[in-house]
Amino acid sequence: MVAPLIPMGVIPESWNNVFAVILGFGFGFALESAGFSSSRKIIGTFFGYDFVVLKVFFTAAITAMIGLLYLSYIGWLDYSLLYIHPTFLASAIIGGIVMGIGFSMGGYCPGTSFCGMAIGKIDAMIFMVGMVIGVFIFSEAFPLFEKLYNSGNLGGKLVSDSLGVSKSLFAFLLTVVAIGMFYGATWVEKKVRKVEY
Amino acid sequence: MNRRNTLLAILAVVLAAGLLIIPNRGEKKEIKPEQLLTAINDQARFLSTDAITERIIGGDPTLQLIDVRPAKQFNTYALPNAVNIPLDSILSPSWTQLLHQPGKDKVFYSNGDIEADAAWQVCTRNGVSKVFVMKGGLNHWYNTIIKGIEPSNTASGNDLDLYSFRQSARQYFTGSAEQGADQPAQAESTQKPARVKVERKPVEKSSGGGC
Repeated sequence: MVAPLIPMGVIPESWNNVFAVILGFGFGFALESAGFSSSRKIIGTFFGYDFVVLKVFFTAAITAMIGLLYLSYIGWLDYSLLYIHPTFLASAIIGGIVMGIGFSMGGYCPGTSFCGMAIGKIDAMIFMVGMVIGVFIFSEAFPLFEKLYNSGNLGGKLVSDSLGVSKSLFAFLLTVVAIGMFYGATWVEKKVRKVEY
Repeated sequence: MNRRNTLLAILAVVLAAGLLIIPNRGEKKEIKPEQLLTAINDQARFLSTDAITERIIGGDPTLQLIDVRPAKQFNTYALPNAVNIPLDSILSPSWTQLLHQPGKDKVFYSNGDIEADAAWQVCTRNGVSKVFVMKGGLNHWYNTIIKGIEPSNTASGNDLDLYSFRQSARQYFTGSAEQGADQPAQAESTQKPARVKVERKPVEKSSGGGC
C-alpha cells in the first residue's frame, strides 16, 4: 500500500503495517463521522430516505480520481506504479450480488460493521458473527469455488481504457454524472417520507 | 442542496474540466534512446547460470525469476519459483505490479538468450529497474548444472571448485549427483514406497516346555 512512496523507496517497506494501522484509524474515523456506523442510515440508500452512502463514496471516488490525475500532471506521482486490482468478471458479478444481498439484509458492509461494533451496536456484532461464519464456510469450501473465483481475469483494467477515452475525459464525465446523481438523490430524499433514527 | 454543497459541486466540475485542458503526461516513464543504448552495451545485465543457481538454492528473497517462454514450455519444465510471462504479454497491465516490485531482481530467461534479452530491452525501455538476463538461458543452465562436464585432472582449483558446486546443485535439483540425471528430486517422493515383506514367525504348536 502507500504507493508510490514505498515502491519508489522514499519510505522503507517495513513501514507498510504502520501506515496500514494509521490509515485504518483514519478510515474508521471518517466512516463514523459520516454516520456509517448506523445500519439504518446505510440501508436508507435502498429505501430512498437517505443517500449519504452514495454521496460519500462518490465524493471520495471523484476527489481521489481528480487528485491522482493532477498529482500525475505535476510529476509527484508515477501512475504506472499504482496497483490496479485485476478485474475477475464472473466472480465480481456473483460476489457483487451476494454482497449486495448481505448489505441490504444486514445494513452493513464489512468495514462499517467494524465501526458499528466499535461503538457497541449489537446488530453490528451479530453481522460480524455472520461474516466470520461466511468467511469460514467460504474458506473450507474454497476448492468448490476456486474455478469461479479465478475465472474471467481481465487484468488491471481501467474503465477509461475499456471505453477508449482518455482518463481526463472519463474523470470529467464521471464528475458531472456524480454531481447530477447528488442532486437527483437529494430530490428523491425530499419526496420520500422521512425516517427518524 | 445548500449553498456550501453547491459551491463544492461547482469546484469539482471546474477541477475536472481543468483536466481536459492540461496535457496528458507522466503515465509512461520511458528512458531516452541514448540511455537505452548505454544499457544495451553494458554486459552487467547478464547473470551466469551458476550465480542464479546459487541464489535459487540459497532461497534468495530478492530473486524474481521470469520465464518468457510460451506457457506450454513453461508447464513442461521451469526453474523453481519462476513466474511465466510470455514475451508477447510482457507489457500487459496484469504484470506491471510484479515487474515494478521494489527490491527484487527481475531475471528473465528463455531457452536461449534472444527472447529473454528482448524482454529485458522492452522492460528497460519501459522504465522497469533491476532487470537482468540469465546468460545462455535454460539450455546453458541444463548443460552446466544438470549435465555438467567433469574437468580434467590438470584443471585449476577454481574449475574444480565450480565443478564441485555444480555437482551439489545437480543433487539439489535432480536428487542425484549423476551427470545428466534429469528427474527432479520431487519425483522421487511421488514414487510408491517399497513394500516391506513381512515374514511372520510360524505359531509354535506346543509351548516347548517351560513353566
